[in-house]
Amino acid sequence: MKDTRNPPEIEIARLGKVFGTGAAAFRALSDIDLTIAQGEFFTLLGPSGCGKTTLLRVIAGFEQPSDGSLRINGQEVAGKGPNARPVNTVFQNYALFPHMSVAQNIGFGLKMLGRAKSEIDATVDEMLALVQMAHLADRKPAEISGGQQQRVALARALAPRPRVLLLDEPLSALDLKLRKGMQSELKRLQGETGITFVFVTHDQEEALTMSDRIAVMSDGRILQTGTPHEIYHAPRERFVADFIGDTNFLQVEVAEADGTAAQVTLPGGARHLARLPAGLRPGAGARVTVVIRPEQAQLVAPGQGVLAATVERSVFFGTDTHVHLVLDGGTPFVLRRQNSGALPEPAPGSTVGLTLAEGALQVVGD
Amino acid sequence: MAEPRESHRWKWLLCAPALTILVLAASGPLLIVLVYSFLTPGNMGGVVWQFSTDGWFRVFFRRDIFSPEDVSWNTAHLTIFWRSIWLSLQTTVICAVLGFPTAWFIATRPANTRTVWLFLITIPFWTNLLIRTFAIQELIRNSGTINTLLLWAGVIDAPIQMLFSEFAILIGMAYVFLPLMVLPLYAAMDKLDFRLVEAGYDLYASRLQVLRHVILPLVKPGFIAGSILVFIPSIGAYVTPRVLGGGRTMMLGNLIDLQFGQGRNWPLGAALAITLLVIVVAALLFYLRTLNREEGGRHG
Ligand SMILES: Nc1ncnc2c1ncn2[C@@H]1O[C@H](COP(=O)(O)OP(=O)(O)OP(=O)(O)O)[C@@H](O)[C@H]1O
Ligand SMILES: [Mg+2]
Repeated sequence: MKDTRNPPEIEIARLGKVFGTGAAAFRALSDIDLTIAQGEFFTLLGPSGCGKTTLLRVIAGFEQPSDGSLRINGQEVAGKGPNARPVNTVFQNYALFPHMSVAQNIGFGLKMLGRAKSEIDATVDEMLALVQMAHLADRKPAEISGGQQQRVALARALAPRPRVLLLDEPLSALDLKLRKGMQSELKRLQGETGITFVFVTHDQEEALTMSDRIAVMSDGRILQTGTPHEIYHAPRERFVADFIGDTNFLQVEVAEADGTAAQVTLPGGARHLARLPAGLRPGAGARVTVVIRPEQAQLVAPGQGVLAATVERSVFFGTDTHVHLVLDGGTPFVLRRQNSGALPEPAPGSTVGLTLAEGALQVVGD
Repeated sequence: MAEPRESHRWKWLLCAPALTILVLAASGPLLIVLVYSFLTPGNMGGVVWQFSTDGWFRVFFRRDIFSPEDVSWNTAHLTIFWRSIWLSLQTTVICAVLGFPTAWFIATRPANTRTVWLFLITIPFWTNLLIRTFAIQELIRNSGTINTLLLWAGVIDAPIQMLFSEFAILIGMAYVFLPLMVLPLYAAMDKLDFRLVEAGYDLYASRLQVLRHVILPLVKPGFIAGSILVFIPSIGAYVTPRVLGGGRTMMLGNLIDLQFGQGRNWPLGAALAITLLVIVVAALLFYLRTLNREEGGRHG
């Protein structure tokens, strides 16, 4: 939340992108409205093919938008090439120059900007230290590991001190352990440099742990923009809720509604408070979908709680256990309980009751 | 224990046909040429089996007819050597300069149309070299297409003498050998990762800087292969200088032909042929060594 108070770095208004012409035309981006604040760690999240890379390429200047406007640091940049924008990219495949050493790769941007050799050398050394690659400065990209190439790509993009760093799934080629390490390294680098990061991923967990704010995309549109907390706990649409984390959907009837919340009737007849997304005002009697996160329900004795269910099976995950249930009425429901203490595992086939945490219910649009 | 030995023998047996062809087709004739260069010319051509270094002597020197002890450089031959080297170098440079944008154009077409463009590049190979060379002659001779057009348009009042000059040879050789530069250059560009070009632009390089710092170093292997493929046949070119250079603007190939034909001096012809070979090998070694040194210097 802190960063949204900073002045805007990138302002995108009604931006669209169409590839091709005539019958082969394909609309990859529609009506993108987005403001990214200075120093923010902003993530574009969405399934494959939703237009994340295209949006990043439009910001970088590799593609020109078909309509709408794009401002960087207050200046309209439409029509300017990538070499005239204070923006650098960390490419998904790193795109390191194979004929240059690690140090030459990192110094390339400054060299092209015509900086003095002494300044280039000093910055290269600084960057090598920043990404802990000083000992491999003279190697060629083919002679270092994938994780090391990743760090060089990062250093190369940071060396010219851009206002904005664009990262297109920079961690997707790394194995899990390296990936976790690089995630915190990226956060550290962003904190140390204060540069605005626009980060692309289709990994929702990565997005939640790293971002100041997230934009969830689908089919060339931005569905919702918000902090990880907002996106997780207050998804506006079914797609967003489904894409982020494990989710239970439940059909309920609205009993009464005011501005931000509604009393809804659960399948068993019990009443519960549900939050409403901005812009959605269902009338009494309307049937709506609510989202319940698996960790916000708890098992209680049969007949108690607000929902009744039958246990199907339990799956052990180490720190927690997922209990798969079927609610009375046939809706499947997954519940997550932490494995602290020795809770008895519910036997398959047994009937149980469920209580829901306060604020567990979030109404979503379809 | 016996097995590796056995398979070793098989290897040699399998290589035998290739080795035989190599010995018979390459080393054999070369050896004959080398031996002939140290023999005495026969009266009606051919050789007399008598050792002589006169052929080699005449490659570089000449004796005054009236006072044989007067020895001077054979400037006619040296001029031809120099012309061959110089024209071949120019041909290579022209082919590189024209070939690069051509190959770039093809490499940046959509994948499905690239084969068409490549096919077009190879079309000249379908016609006999001699006929194509005569076609160029028709274009540039005094009453040929270009001069006629220029006269008609009033740009000039007298035809420009283009045929039978080094210029004509240069045009002909550049035309004939251009595909040999385009094809390896295209192969190198086809492998080029265009995301590296984007990375160059992203890091503030101008178009020219991307060309110089990213594209050229990466397609260098194509330039090397293309240069070798153009330079070697250029320096031994025969048909093109013969048709476009006339009798006086000779290159090495024509000089060698002259000795085996009208000149009736086979040993001299053989010595000249070996000289040509030495020039080519020396040029290649020099070229590759310069490249290596450059490479070493950059990381050193
Ligand atoms: N140059 C292009 N010409 C035509 N269509 C394109 C072009 N580039 C991308 N597209 C299309 O635009 C859509 C969005 O592509 P984009 O690469 O932005 O997806 P993405 O969200 O980055 O996906 P992924 O997670 O798989 O990388 C896709 O349907 C793609 O086929
Ligand atoms: Mg992508």
